[in-house]
Amino acid sequence: MPEKPPREIKYLATLPVNILLNAVLIIPFAIMIYLAFLKWSPAMGMNWWEAPIIGLTNFARALGDARFIAALSRTALYTVSVVAIEFFLGLALAYIMLGDFVGKKAAIAITIYPLMLPPVVVATIFYLMFQSYGPVNNLFLKAIMGEEALRIYWFLKPDTAFITLLIADIWQWTPFMFLIMYSALSAVPKRLVEAAEVLGASSFTIFWRVRLPLIKPLIIVALVLRGLEAFKMFDYAFIMTGGGPGTTTETVSMYIYRTAILYTDISYAAAMSLIILAMIIIVVRAFIWYFFERGR
Amino acid sequence: MGEVSKSRRLFLTALGTTIVGIGIGYAIGYLSKPAEIVEKTITSTATKTVTVTPGVTPPPIGLSGAATRALEGVRDLLNRGVITPGTTIKILHVAGSRAQLEKAIELWRQYVPEVNVELITLGQEPDVYTKAMAEAVTKAGTFDIVTIFSTWLGDIVEAGLAKSLDEYYAKYDPEYTGPCAPIEPLGSYVTIYKGKRYSVVLDSDVFTLSYRKDLIENPIYKSEFRAQYGKDLKVPDTWEDLIDMAEFFYNKNLTAPSGGRVYGAYFYAEPAFAAYITWLNIFIEAGGIPFDLETMDPRVDTPEGRYAFDIMLRLKPYMPPEAITAGWADLYDKFIKGETVFTAAWPSLTKEAMRPTSLVKDVAGSALLPGVVVDGKLIRAAPNPVNWVGVVSNYSRYPELSYLFLQFATAPDIGLDVILSGVILDLFRECWFKDPAYRPKSAEGYGEEFIDVYMESLRISFPDILIRGGPEYLSKLTTEVNSVMAGIKDPEVALSDVSAEWDSITRKYGVDTQLEAWRGLAQLFPDDVKDVWRAKGYMK
Amino acid sequence: MKSHGTKILLSALKYIAIGIFVLWVLIPVAWVVSLAFKPYAEWRVSYFVPKNFTWNNFIVLFKSEAFVGIMGATAIVEPVTKPLINSLAVTSLSTIIAVMIGFFTAYGASRYNTPGPFGLFFTLLTRMLPPATFVTPIMVYYSNLRLLDTHFGLIILYSAVTVTYGIWILKGFIDAIPIEWEEAAMLEGATPIKTLFKVVLPIARPGLVVAGLFIFLLTWTELLFALVLTNVYAVTLPVHISKYVGAVGQLYGPQAALALIGSIIPIAIGYAIQKHLVTGFTFGMVRG
Repeated sequence: MPEKPPREIKYLATLPVNILLNAVLIIPFAIMIYLAFLKWSPAMGMNWWEAPIIGLTNFARALGDARFIAALSRTALYTVSVVAIEFFLGLALAYIMLGDFVGKKAAIAITIYPLMLPPVVVATIFYLMFQSYGPVNNLFLKAIMGEEALRIYWFLKPDTAFITLLIADIWQWTPFMFLIMYSALSAVPKRLVEAAEVLGASSFTIFWRVRLPLIKPLIIVALVLRGLEAFKMFDYAFIMTGGGPGTTTETVSMYIYRTAILYTDISYAAAMSLIILAMIIIVVRAFIWYFFERGR
Repeated sequence: MGEVSKSRRLFLTALGTTIVGIGIGYAIGYLSKPAEIVEKTITSTATKTVTVTPGVTPPPIGLSGAATRALEGVRDLLNRGVITPGTTIKILHVAGSRAQLEKAIELWRQYVPEVNVELITLGQEPDVYTKAMAEAVTKAGTFDIVTIFSTWLGDIVEAGLAKSLDEYYAKYDPEYTGPCAPIEPLGSYVTIYKGKRYSVVLDSDVFTLSYRKDLIENPIYKSEFRAQYGKDLKVPDTWEDLIDMAEFFYNKNLTAPSGGRVYGAYFYAEPAFAAYITWLNIFIEAGGIPFDLETMDPRVDTPEGRYAFDIMLRLKPYMPPEAITAGWADLYDKFIKGETVFTAAWPSLTKEAMRPTSLVKDVAGSALLPGVVVDGKLIRAAPNPVNWVGVVSNYSRYPELSYLFLQFATAPDIGLDVILSGVILDLFRECWFKDPAYRPKSAEGYGEEFIDVYMESLRISFPDILIRGGPEYLSKLTTEVNSVMAGIKDPEVALSDVSAEWDSITRKYGVDTQLEAWRGLAQLFPDDVKDVWRAKGYMK
Repeated sequence: MKSHGTKILLSALKYIAIGIFVLWVLIPVAWVVSLAFKPYAEWRVSYFVPKNFTWNNFIVLFKSEAFVGIMGATAIVEPVTKPLINSLAVTSLSTIIAVMIGFFTAYGASRYNTPGPFGLFFTLLTRMLPPATFVTPIMVYYSNLRLLDTHFGLIILYSAVTVTYGIWILKGFIDAIPIEWEEAAMLEGATPIKTLFKVVLPIARPGLVVAGLFIFLLTWTELLFALVLTNVYAVTLPVHISKYVGAVGQLYGPQAALALIGSIIPIAIGYAIQKHLVTGFTFGMVRG
């Protein structure tokens, strides 16, 4: 392919996306950045363009804020856990469901159903299910553990509360990984697979050395996209645990929400968001470089 | 093409597309907005060329003074051409109050069909707060009236959204004095901020003790209790008494009508919002003062603060674990199912307990919350968390009209009809409890026993910390209380953390301005509490 | 080759694994369904099958007076038809826009590296920010543009924040398409644009479908921005679900009922597009 794109392609590939993103997002984003350098909250009664600029004070404050740091590390742990689990589950499922089988269409439709429900609804469902009067304890665990199950209070301890959040997320988002892996795996050319089979390769080898490398770009995409979303998780924590007990399941998104909305500390929230943004940019950039570009 | 000119080109392209994009966006946005504005201009031009509104309608007969004056005020505005027929005012409110506001609108339209009232309904309370604060920033005129929690009053006023209503109070007299006034101190502390009126009372939210009468009055239990604890089983006077009774019933392991276990007590300790209510209740009754009246230093790390935690932790074993983890609605659910002996919540709990589907329908009792004995005297104080009030937006085009709607909707006669049409707005005028013209209706809606108890509770009620930053002060307190109740933090550490957090909030806004607001608010606390503060030297 | 027995065993295991997963998905779904048919007294219980089956939760969605007798006059909200239509319109349009723009951008990025090393990465920025802080600035911006509470405003916002999904997913798919096909087509005299539409687009169809489905789902269930940027006219489904709150807290029954209704359209789409998730073509041999 020629190095320089034909003019029409260049315009088509850059203009629409530029117009869309710039027209809609640049100015709010700029406002947000500006806010982070101010000492301002709506409750101070002055307009935000008249507020005093205090430079990096908000940022310094965020870096010293124990609640922020705790939320950050907790959210990072959460993200890594759910993305890893969802990836393996999604990949395994996609692989298993590749061929034809009885009821395949229905199975796939059911598998992706969790994506159709708003996260708030899913959060509400799991909230109800994990209560001490709910089915998790009274039906499922009781069948396995007997009366012991009734003494588990999921939301009372930080660890078990955290686990409920993981479960809710995994339930809802594994289908996302599944979808991407499934269409990626189906896009692997049949000829390659057949050729390998003829050469006597086992299923596992085919999977590991033929399919997986070919879908690697999409795996990276899926991991990055899901990782970004998981890091921003808000609904499950907000509805299921309220951040509790105390603040032990408060995700960073929830803390920022509370700061911006409940404490009307918008400048501080903006500063925290920018810090997170910077961190994410670094991590994702490194991730992509390592897996995408290094190998070339 | 050189690197420099390439980046310059890139930059120019980006800049160009931004400008083009914004221009297109602006144009399309401007054109696609529903064309209400255009319509209004046409209407007013049309009316101006035609003769003025057909005749002066005679003042309605048989309405209360406040309602009559409000309607006359509206007539006057219409006749003078200040507002025109077809004017619409918009109210931002929460879904739970919709039935009641619609009733108010229905009654309004009987007398003033020329003015339309539209409701902008939101699902959750924080959304109202978000939209109100956003309006304070954007000043877009999205609504004329907003119903807010009294807790937000400081924030809303300081953000410049709330219009000062003193002149309208003076001009139209909403009957805030006299036998039908909103019961003091509530009438004052939810409407006055830094000495001026900024809101209209729509509601009251004072907590009362709800309990299972069948258990307390059971003669067998009475004698067993007497034998075990050496005192009578009755509505508890102090928290210590309540703890004993809660322990007694918890140990009995009774089964509720729903089939679940009966817990001795259920008081709020949950992390999202309500844990502060219980703590603050005991703290104030013990004679604690949240902030020093001279310096605005937090005064929670005190014996009173520790006492509040002590009581709550001693109650914990007899409460269900959901008290610490579930949302506020769980308390309602458990009491209605008969799974709690003692509990405290808003008046709506009593109403819910009275429904045909309630399992404690005929056995739910109401009483004043227990108190604390301070220097030999029993001090009782009832929390009044949240409490809806009506605020007129400073960016409304019809502030006077909006105020008149509020005065009409909360007038002695209209107001009662409005309140009885729904659930989340509750009684607040004294005549609704005492005047034989109104009392039967109130009793029908709430129960005879309840309204006597409630009237008394209103008299001893105290406000949320509704100065600026109120939601933040209380939210941080809730988090710490919940941490202690969940066993994650020691009370000592929690109290000093609350102090530190409250202090930083105060400094954020400025000690002087916060102190001014707090001093004003402290004066509006109930007399009993203020007496204790004076006795302890907290207040002069 | 594997023995016949092993094959059967593997097949059985495969069905068991799929069965277990389907069960795992269905249990909470069953809970949603059961909530939708349960009266208030049974929302906080441990059993699935309602003892007092009721259609009330669904009726309430269209005629909110249906709740008055049962729970007092709470949660009277507008019927659900308008939000459903709004959601459908806004979501469909923004999905189409995001997928198409994503497709074009991904093509340029994949073949010609048009946005450069940083440009593409920066589209990810739209997904990196916790939305809470972005809300106030965008409110200020939209209120000045008079875009508050308009369908157009929501559509362009949703397109802007989801286009990055389109770009990245489609880039992944386009990257896997051998270049030879386009080179061949252009050698035959086809213009670049024609090649794009006639050669690349059909092969990239699974990518379009996956990206489209996922963007549709993201937008269909988005709550925060819709809540803040709409009031009366452009209210979407998730915002409407959040309005079912009464004096006793959240009204789980109607919320579940509405969630079920709201999931019908996406699941119908999901079921219908399945065959497009698989590439119809078989490629030539290994490339590069």
